[in-house]
Amino acid sequence: MKTLAELRKIREKAQQEMRLRQSDNRVKIVVGMGTSGIAMGAREVMKTIMEEVANRNLTDVLVTQTGEKGLSSMEPVIDVVEEGKQTVTYGNISPEKARKIVAEHIVNGKIVNDFVVTVQS
Amino acid sequence: MLDLSLNILDIIENSISAKATEISVTIEMIVLKNRLHINIKDNGIGMDAELKKMVQDPFFTTKTHRKKKVGLGIPLFKQTVENCNGKFILQSEIGIGTEIETVFQYDHIDRMPLGKLADTFTSVIIGHPEVDFELNLRRIFLHGENKIFHFSSREVKSELGDIPLSYPDVMMFIQQNIEEGIKKIELEEI
Repeated sequence: MKTLAELRKIREKAQQEMRLRQSDNRVKIVVGMGTSGIAMGAREVMKTIMEEVANRNLTDVLVTQTGEKGLSSMEPVIDVVEEGKQTVTYGNISPEKARKIVAEHIVNGKIVNDFVVTVQS
Repeated sequence: MLDLSLNILDIIENSISAKATEISVTIEMIVLKNRLHINIKDNGIGMDAELKKMVQDPFFTTKTHRKKKVGLGIPLFKQTVENCNGKFILQSEIGIGTEIETVFQYDHIDRMPLGKLADTFTSVIIGHPEVDFELNLRRIFLHGENKIFHFSSREVKSELGDIPLSYPDVMMFIQQNIEEGIKKIELEEI
């Protein structure tokens, strides 16, 4: 069984890593979790993104979720928000596509044009 | 919605839209009495009597400024409960919060399975780090034996200090902790 003592270890390790780092969070991934998003599989997309971020040990990525965005026909929807860059909205996302977005956009900085719905500054 | 865990996720997202900072979810499976209880309580802005009535109508939504025209979250959950001889009670007070209490007939043929509860909880806890979640999950067995799993995201956050919940190892910790807890009390039903 997991214990709070384990968390303390994680905290010590994380604090050491944070000290070596410049900024707090380089990029934020926001998953749309409204009723239609949930019905279309947004929770599985969220889970996949969390797993990818954890497996790749991306310590400067924030994963969050938000309510309905008015894009019901394109759910599940995710936003990639980076400071000083345009916010990219991806639509019709599956766990598979989410994995690709983490690998190409989050890690390598290349927007995955095939899945883009809108780009906003 | 395919299972109860997805309905619960949807209701929690409503609480967050209502500016809740504390949300507690209680699930009790009482096989002996043939009952399954699911309660979700928040300290959000609450609703007056009129709004309370309206949110149970499938063609109503609070999201007026968006393109969205219908709100199916609460009606879907209500229907899910009532389809299996259950009870759905919505209580709300302005400035205090909202509570949804449900009782299902445990062995009703139309009762959906609980589904991946751990995925729902992990998703909302990490996706809304500013909100404190309390989970109280309980299974009462035929001979009266009680198995309980309790999880508080506030406890986790106070251990972590300034380390974010979406820090890789923390995400794994939360997911595994909740999965193990649900398994331990035998509340898995997929």
